[in-house]
Amino acid sequence: MRCHWAAWCLVFLLGFGALPAALGGADPRVATLAAEVRGKGWIAYGARSAKGDWDLWLMRPDGSANRNITNTPAYSEAAPRFSPDGTKMLYRRLPPNATISHDRWGFQGELVLANADGSNPTVLGKPGKFPWAAWSPDGKQISCLTPKGILIVDLATKQVVRKVPRKGFYQQLYWSPDGKWFCGVSNHFGQNWTVARMAAATGEIHAVSSFRNCTPDWFPDSRRLIFSNRPKGQAGYGFTQLWFASLDGKARGLLYGEDGRHIYGGALSPDGAYVLFSSGPKDGSGAAGRGGQIGLMRLADAPIVTGKSTALRKVHPKTNNGPVLTLPIGWEPHWTYADVEASK
Amino acid sequence: MTRTIRPTIPLAAFVPVLAVLAAASCGQQPDDGADPKVTTLGTIEVTAQLVEVLGTFPPNDLYDYVYVLKYRILTTHRGAVAGDTILVGQYNPLKPRARAADVRAEGIGGTLKAFKAGDLHRMALEVPLDEHYMGPIINKYHGKAGGPLHWAVWTNRVIR
Repeated sequence: MRCHWAAWCLVFLLGFGALPAALGGADPRVATLAAEVRGKGWIAYGARSAKGDWDLWLMRPDGSANRNITNTPAYSEAAPRFSPDGTKMLYRRLPPNATISHDRWGFQGELVLANADGSNPTVLGKPGKFPWAAWSPDGKQISCLTPKGILIVDLATKQVVRKVPRKGFYQQLYWSPDGKWFCGVSNHFGQNWTVARMAAATGEIHAVSSFRNCTPDWFPDSRRLIFSNRPKGQAGYGFTQLWFASLDGKARGLLYGEDGRHIYGGALSPDGAYVLFSSGPKDGSGAAGRGGQIGLMRLADAPIVTGKSTALRKVHPKTNNGPVLTLPIGWEPHWTYADVEASK
Repeated sequence: MTRTIRPTIPLAAFVPVLAVLAAASCGQQPDDGADPKVTTLGTIEVTAQLVEVLGTFPPNDLYDYVYVLKYRILTTHRGAVAGDTILVGQYNPLKPRARAADVRAEGIGGTLKAFKAGDLHRMALEVPLDEHYMGPIINKYHGKAGGPLHWAVWTNRVIR
């Protein structure tokens, strides 16, 4: 009888998609982490709506107050990035049935500027214009990565104010918070999929992590990068893990990994204390499907390895097994500590 | 004691096969590869021999890429190239050129179905590669061979 009761509970939990939360809730460390981050601003991310198109969503960092902020069946929206002061966001708007490419999304659709809560969206250009747009530290300019070079565009006038040779960078270009560097994915000294940095003033370029890296982003101190890496030495195709490295590439380490899952979408909280990511069983970040399972962890708890992960634990024997807060399924999450309600 | 039995096939049995192969070979009419695309696209047009294919082409199921190939120049039809050999970036070379174009590499094409060392290709090219393609590049000649990387716009098979 007791067994039947447990089975019905399991069916109920599975049916309502609440099992991950219930399991997460079983670890008191996860509940502590959730309470710790609950009031720390907002996370924006892209996710499928019930109609099947992509919309932008906003939630508290513990997953509460989750809401769809675009609700546009006529369009898909993806890749939100809050401005450094948290009052605005940039994102890309695509046709509703468009397949998001994990490697080309920066070229896809129109660049849109909106308030941080998604209100007052303004399309900045034609589809494909302002590729890989990223905020300048003061929020007044954007950098764009084009075949002809890196373009610095004044947001108010939409005029190109500076052009820098791209020197092999080809996707995911981001401006450092201190304004001194760009990071991105590049062909560098014959190695493709190299995460590199470029001095914004001189164009000097340095490799940070070579071989099978992508989706770099900055730590708030502008002295380290977070990125995805599928290291050599794994059996078969291997799995993509979340790593960090200093700007010279010498100090580097695993942040999060799990055998059987590919980790993408790495991003830091504005104070650098927490790490966001998404994970999925297939390589490619889930961009062509529904995205990945968004997770949140403390940087201080890194490196974390979850699941059985026999092979990964063999390479990294001294890791933590959590806590990781499980958030909704989505793609390219981004975090602000600003009060987005005030951005209206 | 074991005895190895080797099948003996009379030479005459190969005659029909050889005849078919000879016929097929004779059926390949000489083709200089010229067509309205290759003679007008790009800023450079050459007929060149694919010297070698270093390594193997990775699959295209998830990631697109350009693979750099070395060519020996036989004829320069338009524009100018420096030296007897050039490096040419071919986009997703596992695909027949007629099906290689996509949103990352619009406007490329040709009649070539597969890349094989020693074959002759008539190509319309642009240079430098970086101004025409932005994506991963597999260049096994990095640090070994100089000169700019060319972008293959159109690639036709040449039969002599």
